[in-house]
Amino acid sequence: MSKLKVAVFKFSSCDGCQLQFLNLEEELLQLTEVVDFALFYEARSSVEPGPYDISFVEGSISTPHEVELINNVRRESKIVVAIGACATSGGIQALRNWANLDEFKSYVYPRPEWIEVLKNAEPPSKFIKVDYEIRGCPVSKEQLLSFILQYMRGKIPTLPVSPLCIECKVAGNVCVLVVSGTPCLGPITMGGCGAICPSYGRGCYGCYGPAVDPQAPAMNRLFKELDLKPKDIQLLFKQFVNWAKGFKEVVEEYE
Amino acid sequence: MSITGLYVSRLDALPKIFTELQRLNYTVVGYKVVNNVLRLDRLNTFEEVATGVEDVQNPGRYYLIPGNFHRHGPDSPKNFLYPPRLPLFEVSPEWGVVVKDYSKDLRLAFFGIKSCDLTSIKVLDRVVSDVDETYVSIRGNSVIVVENCTQPGNTCFCNTMGAGPRARDSFDIAYTRLGSKLVVEAGSDLGLKIINRLAVEPIDDSTYSEFESVMTKAALKARANFETENLPELLELRLESNAYKEVVKRCLGCANCNLVCPTCFCFDVLDVLRIDGSAERVRVWDGCLNYTYAQVAGGHFRPDLWARYRHFILHKFTYWIKQFGTFGCVGCGRCITWCPAGIDIRDSLLRVLKGGVI
Repeated sequence: MSKLKVAVFKFSSCDGCQLQFLNLEEELLQLTEVVDFALFYEARSSVEPGPYDISFVEGSISTPHEVELINNVRRESKIVVAIGACATSGGIQALRNWANLDEFKSYVYPRPEWIEVLKNAEPPSKFIKVDYEIRGCPVSKEQLLSFILQYMRGKIPTLPVSPLCIECKVAGNVCVLVVSGTPCLGPITMGGCGAICPSYGRGCYGCYGPAVDPQAPAMNRLFKELDLKPKDIQLLFKQFVNWAKGFKEVVEEYE
Repeated sequence: MSITGLYVSRLDALPKIFTELQRLNYTVVGYKVVNNVLRLDRLNTFEEVATGVEDVQNPGRYYLIPGNFHRHGPDSPKNFLYPPRLPLFEVSPEWGVVVKDYSKDLRLAFFGIKSCDLTSIKVLDRVVSDVDETYVSIRGNSVIVVENCTQPGNTCFCNTMGAGPRARDSFDIAYTRLGSKLVVEAGSDLGLKIINRLAVEPIDDSTYSEFESVMTKAALKARANFETENLPELLELRLESNAYKEVVKRCLGCANCNLVCPTCFCFDVLDVLRIDGSAERVRVWDGCLNYTYAQVAGGHFRPDLWARYRHFILHKFTYWIKQFGTFGCVGCGRCITWCPAGIDIRDSLLRVLKGGVI
């Protein structure tokens, strides 16, 4: 079997998602026997030109230059896989979509007029066709591995599609909303992490993004009934996936 | 069915029953307090059994207070008989298949579960006995010591569903705590063997009338505001009720109701691939409130949340009767307590039955 030719691209992001490939550690060595990381700046300096079998794309698209680059990625790739909250929903960069861009520029840069950015930070799917999404902030390394293994064996890759509550109960956790009224986004969040936060008694922060059919209005209503302050409710939705469908509408309500 | 009738002993007979079960090589499973919640778990000693606490259950709320009677928590016997994550088989890199035997040597004694949970086992017996070898094997090697529920809670309606508060059959031992006295009866040869090792006397008149009055009072407390007579038919007649759409305005679609339900048996099958070429196939719990549950190649049976919630209700109270000859609901109230949004299935049924208004 010829090696799978893989590229890992980065756009506006923190590198944490691609780092998850390296966090595979022992399995990474085995993985390189069947996968050729042809382009992976964080891991190696040598670069092989495309086309690539799979391009994993991290980060949101926030500048005109990135729009050009992401179109190149699409042209050079058999399939494009968006990895992480930024590449699937705009991520935390999208927080600036809610603020005054010119004000930000003038605070941060001595020559703000040199800064060319898009009005909004958006996920790559806004500009190109994305074939698959792997969620999370960061993505889980197990899901990255599982995706590649499934693809290599000719299976249509599938990843968890159930709300977090199912994983949370399977993990044997007790519902933090019910026993302590702890605000938890689990009911409307996509599973896949194995319910890390509720396993430590914390509410889910929603970093895997909206579930397939997220009931965000009902979640918002419940938080109001729990007597949370409007600002606090907004902050719950205005985190890792603030720009995602469902979450965005609730953030808007409190703007 | 009771094979002995009622006998009286003292409360200190309980630890004796416990150790007797262990002596017979059973792993005892009962309620213990973990992080202020009653969890159904394996118990090493009688001292681990929850004591001095009472669970307060309301729609969407659960906590413990000091007390002398506890009911249950989010877990049910289903967690042991029909585990949340069950490895089915393992495939080696050379395509050899090894079937896993999860149930091997598992001898479980459910200790102190209530009548609702006993009934849930009876329901599961009808549903999965023909199709799930793991269930059959664990169930076949299990013992049930049930406690009659003298103090049903706020979310309980077992009596309406014919599931309690008194256990009538399908147990090995049933006991009732009455002050310092313990009323016991055996429902099997094994139960009789254990009771024979205790200091018991035939029940006297005054204890019997106390028992009857406590159980009658408990039954009245465990009733909902609807009757089950003609319920399957009435629900079917109101298939288009607007009430479902009204109720789901609060619904989070999280499937917690399915997961804590002691009779919900739906599952998904996942393949876990490993880098060395091996793989594992596992069965994990799923539920009809989950969007992807009814999604199939080419479409979706119930894309709308209200249709999924309606299916949950209709399955429990209508289809289950047709499929299995019994209700799918035992009135334990877990779906009410553990719904983060506090949706009360008793209210939902009333709304449907009364045309959307209550």
